[in-house]
Amino acid sequence: MISFTNVSKSYEGELILKDFTFTIDKGEVAYITGPSGAGKTTLLKLIYCAERPDRGQIVVAGWDINKLKQRTIPFLRRNVGIVFQDFRLLYNKTVFDNIALALRIHYVHPNAIREDVNAVLKEVKLSHKANTFPQQLSGGEQQRVVIGRAMVSKPTVLLADEPTGNLDVDTSQTIMNLFREINARGTTVLIATHNHDLFHGTGRRVFFLRDKNIEKEIIG
Amino acid sequence: MKIFRYAFQTVFKSLWREKWINLLTILSISIGLSLLTSFIMITLNMDSVLQRWAKNFGIVVYLDEDINKAEENTLKNRFLKDKDIIEVKYISKEKALKELHKTLGANALVLEGLDENPLPSSFELRLKSSLIEPGLVKNKAAQIERISGVDEVQYGEKWLSSLYAVSKTMKLGAIIIGGAIFIAITFITYSTIKIFFYRRKEEIETLKLLGATRSFIRLPFLLEGLIIGLLGGIMSSLVIFGIYSFTSLKMVEFLPSINLVMASLPFQVYLIVPLAGAVVSIVGSFIAVGKIRY
Repeated sequence: MISFTNVSKSYEGELILKDFTFTIDKGEVAYITGPSGAGKTTLLKLIYCAERPDRGQIVVAGWDINKLKQRTIPFLRRNVGIVFQDFRLLYNKTVFDNIALALRIHYVHPNAIREDVNAVLKEVKLSHKANTFPQQLSGGEQQRVVIGRAMVSKPTVLLADEPTGNLDVDTSQTIMNLFREINARGTTVLIATHNHDLFHGTGRRVFFLRDKNIEKEIIG
Repeated sequence: MKIFRYAFQTVFKSLWREKWINLLTILSISIGLSLLTSFIMITLNMDSVLQRWAKNFGIVVYLDEDINKAEENTLKNRFLKDKDIIEVKYISKEKALKELHKTLGANALVLEGLDENPLPSSFELRLKSSLIEPGLVKNKAAQIERISGVDEVQYGEKWLSSLYAVSKTMKLGAIIIGGAIFIAITFITYSTIKIFFYRRKEEIETLKLLGATRSFIRLPFLLEGLIIGLLGGIMSSLVIFGIYSFTSLKMVEFLPSINLVMASLPFQVYLIVPLAGAVVSIVGSFIAVGKIRY
């Protein structure tokens, strides 16, 4: 589903990833961890094409990133749900509209949007907050809105960048349960986190990043 | 049609949310278009007056003293066949004298002592309008002057040059002022849409990450530009209608001889102005949105 072959990436002359090779299979849940600046976020950005590799090949859901033209990028991103560390919610839109946005860009009919968004709101347990604005929500609730937005368009791949960054243990657990549910539907999930508690005992593959490459791969 | 649903929702929300800046932009566009249309109308009216004067423009061909009737007829036929000449009028020596008498009126006494008619016979020629240009008329006059039997060719050379210069300056002025106003309107819309674009930058970034296409992102801005331009144009049409109705009425009242080309503007003008506003604004918006990169 996601494969990196000898990928190198640098920013302003500083090498972030060097000859990076790894594969995530379809329907898998995997974790990437490592110290700050190890390249976790860069790795995710390379997957959703916010960055391009300097060298090497990246294939995501059948799309060869190197061959992707600017105008084709949106179509790749429609297959990749992203849960951002900084939420990236629109604070002038309600919870409902924030989630609906992911469907509106696909020109989904308003009736179908209503149906799908309400179903997702139920799953992330925010039906009662549909008409509130993000700033009226707690951090955990906002993160659930972001997950709702990422899952509503039923992507084949879901990426999460530090999804529990500022959340307490209970809320983090709720968020992780949501990822499990999403994965149970066949979505490949890749989570970047520095919180080891998130992958301990999951039985899933964990990639440790250090010195521009994978230091080790363990089962969590 | 699906693509327009979200775009229109976004546009109407933005039109309301940013009503003051939108209103100012609409007003500025309206003022610009009104100025432009007024200037074009003034130019058209003045040009038409000049054209009307030019229509009566003619050249006078004085014939040799010793020319006979047959030669005069040959000349007349030659002028009639000439495609550059649309009217040929023969004035005999006698008729010329009679007209001079008429012109002089009470002062005609000065002609009393003459032994013989000193005036030559002549042809008054009206040239086709496309030829009424100082250089072309000069060439034609020189060409006629070379014909045997022709003594001299006269026309208001200075008058024609001035008339032509005024007309040319006005047209050039219309192009320069028109161009400047069009650029100004484009810039006004550009600035407004650029402001909106920056205000929604965060939303645009999120849309890009969610997989929105370029047209999905661009369309609301282009539509907003179009609506602003259209509204500015409609407002301008109303202003022009008011001003033109009022001034043409007053002009005819004070200067009945002015005889404006159009006592009222053709209705197409009221359609073209909003359309021009919309087109120019869309161009401004397109430049403002620029290239969207992922």
